[in-house]
Amino acid sequence: MATRPKTTLQMKLDRRQFITLTSGLFSTSVFTVASASSLKTPVFLSAASDGDDNHWVIGFSQSDKASTELFRHSLPGRAHHIAVHEGLGIYLVIARRPGKYLWVGDLESGEPLAEITLPADRHLYGHGVFSADGNYFYAPENAWQMINGDSGRVVVWEVKRADRKTPRFSMTRVKDFPSYGTGPHELLITSDQRTLVLANGGIRTHPERGRKKLNIESMQPSLAYINAISGDLEEQHLLDGQYHKASIRHMDQNQSGLIVVGMQYEGEPFDRVPLLVTHQQGEPLRELWAPEPQQGQMTQYVGSVRFDNSGNYFAASCPRGNMITFWEAKSGDFLRSVRSRDGCGLCAIDNGFLFTAGTGRITYYDVRQDSMTSLDSANSGKVFWDNHLSVFAS
Amino acid sequence: MVYNENRSQLECRIMKNILSFLVLGLLPGWLIAQPSENWTEVNLSITDGQVIPRYTAFESSSAGLAAAAQALCQATNAMNLENARKSFHASMDAWQQIQHVQFGPITYFNWNFRLHYWPDEKGTGPRQLDELIAAGNEEVLQSDNFSRESVGVQGFPALERLLFDDESLLAFREDRYRCQAAQTIALNISEIASGVRQRWADKFRTTIANADERGFFESAEDATIDFLKAQVESVRRIQQQKLEEVIGESAARARVRRAESWRSGRSLRNIKLNVMALKSLFNDSESQSIELSEVFQAEDITVINEAFAQLNSALTPLPDSFEAVLMEEQGHEKLLQIAAHLDALFEAFEAGLKNTDLYLGFNSLDGD
Repeated sequence: MATRPKTTLQMKLDRRQFITLTSGLFSTSVFTVASASSLKTPVFLSAASDGDDNHWVIGFSQSDKASTELFRHSLPGRAHHIAVHEGLGIYLVIARRPGKYLWVGDLESGEPLAEITLPADRHLYGHGVFSADGNYFYAPENAWQMINGDSGRVVVWEVKRADRKTPRFSMTRVKDFPSYGTGPHELLITSDQRTLVLANGGIRTHPERGRKKLNIESMQPSLAYINAISGDLEEQHLLDGQYHKASIRHMDQNQSGLIVVGMQYEGEPFDRVPLLVTHQQGEPLRELWAPEPQQGQMTQYVGSVRFDNSGNYFAASCPRGNMITFWEAKSGDFLRSVRSRDGCGLCAIDNGFLFTAGTGRITYYDVRQDSMTSLDSANSGKVFWDNHLSVFAS
Repeated sequence: MVYNENRSQLECRIMKNILSFLVLGLLPGWLIAQPSENWTEVNLSITDGQVIPRYTAFESSSAGLAAAAQALCQATNAMNLENARKSFHASMDAWQQIQHVQFGPITYFNWNFRLHYWPDEKGTGPRQLDELIAAGNEEVLQSDNFSRESVGVQGFPALERLLFDDESLLAFREDRYRCQAAQTIALNISEIASGVRQRWADKFRTTIANADERGFFESAEDATIDFLKAQVESVRRIQQQKLEEVIGESAARARVRRAESWRSGRSLRNIKLNVMALKSLFNDSESQSIELSEVFQAEDITVINEAFAQLNSALTPLPDSFEAVLMEEQGHEKLLQIAAHLDALFEAFEAGLKNTDLYLGFNSLDGD
């Protein structure tokens, strides 16, 4: 039974945001390639850009050897991750840092529904997650004016279904927690919905200085477990001191609660540092290492991590090293890697993974058969797939 | 409104395509040069015509450097110091002409960083070199041990610091270990140069020739992209790292000690050699049967060639060091001009690439 968070505010919000989303608010679809109304297969969702610096959200389906674009809509700026709310039939596109918009679309038709802008003194970090019961949405934010402490925040949005006042649903900012660190990035909610797991990247930025990293020498990333109801810190883990420049950024969780974390190292390119750790709540972090030369070829950068459907394997993408690595979850053993130029977006499908690349390429990899299929995505035109790939099984 | 902007962009593009079709439709087919898509031929032409010959030159000149450093330690006199400095320049000349290739064997065993740890913003290399010499541990200088020392003491910047001091000769005479350290670094450079050349010739050429989905490169086009990155990203790196970091807002605010190879007075010589090698990679090599430029549209090749020509005509008359050019009348303005020409060259490449199906990077350039 899901635990419903209390509605009391943990801190006084600067401004209480109440945004009502109505279908048909936008009619700005640039073009719809195909109607998605009769979909029976999984729909994949990713942010993408093109050579003219236009930014899009694209939905596509996949068959044996091809992908088919289902819809494409223009976004106000470059986006990062897309969260899916199956109950309400919506997807929510989250702006890439230091962006300030949440953009909502209809899962069935792909059509735009609404755009939400954050308060002036906040920006997003590109990630967010719905609770399993669909009643809440959680997203890390930067409250950069809190210059004397950690500026990472987690904002809780209450999601309500349609009633007479709201034709489809509404989202309201109801709570605002500390993330217990600086530069929070991806977050998860545990399967019992009681705990948020935060990747505090440790890197301080300020929107007036763009994406410039301001505290590399003193950065302190952490993995924080936060009570989803009270916002209290339950557990926090730091890497070994010598690895404090390894920014904890991306995560996934399997059926047994094991969390895999991907890092991005801000120190020297020749330092040898772990780029992945696994973690089971209540235990210490476990560093994972690939053998050489693969560890070096990961070039200090993991862009995305995802478990396969069984939870026995996970993939970690290394877009700077142009490779996707595969690992055995329980043992933490490196299995193998495959080449993927600028490959980053990952999601579990069938017996393996689908991955997308900045080159526009989409590939299916069967982790058990060790077989790869490059999909013909000609009907999408040339796009650069952004860092993350989401899937919705209709 | 986003929609209207995009729609008008789309309409513009459709109109442009219709016009192009009408104009090109009037031309005979043989007049319309099409970019090459025979990636394997392009890759092997560059490998055989550019990469392996340049690494061979680097190997040979570095062997000369190792020999000169050995002679200097056997007879520490002014003539041998001068010879060692000349050999340093020869080896550095060769390295600067292949420095743009930052993929393949140069990335094995941290060879790229061990060879040339720069920029060294925190002064780590000089500090570690001083510590190494002060400790005077003979075992550290044995080849197997030395390769495991910090990258800051293993390559060109460390050797330059030892060879190009006003008091170098006196210091070598007073401290034999100091000269042995220089000799060890020179030998290390030579061994790395030899290792890189050998691996390109023996194995990496085959890797390029046989690129397929399950290999090191996922396709032959994938390997071409690495050559294009060597071409295009080097232009930006030269502009930002080697030039703009140094020249500042005025001559008085220039920071010449941030420059690459400032001690040996050859910072601008490095840039001249880099640009010459990049032009040669693009389309100016006699030994390259199929050129990298062939992946671009004809009109873009013209624009890129023009940008190279303007850059070269501004660079060629300059002396080899930043200090010397800054003492010239309008010296600082000349350097600003070079930066502007490098920027124009980069923009020309970017514009040209947009007319191809080749993408150099997206997630990897500015990840999150």
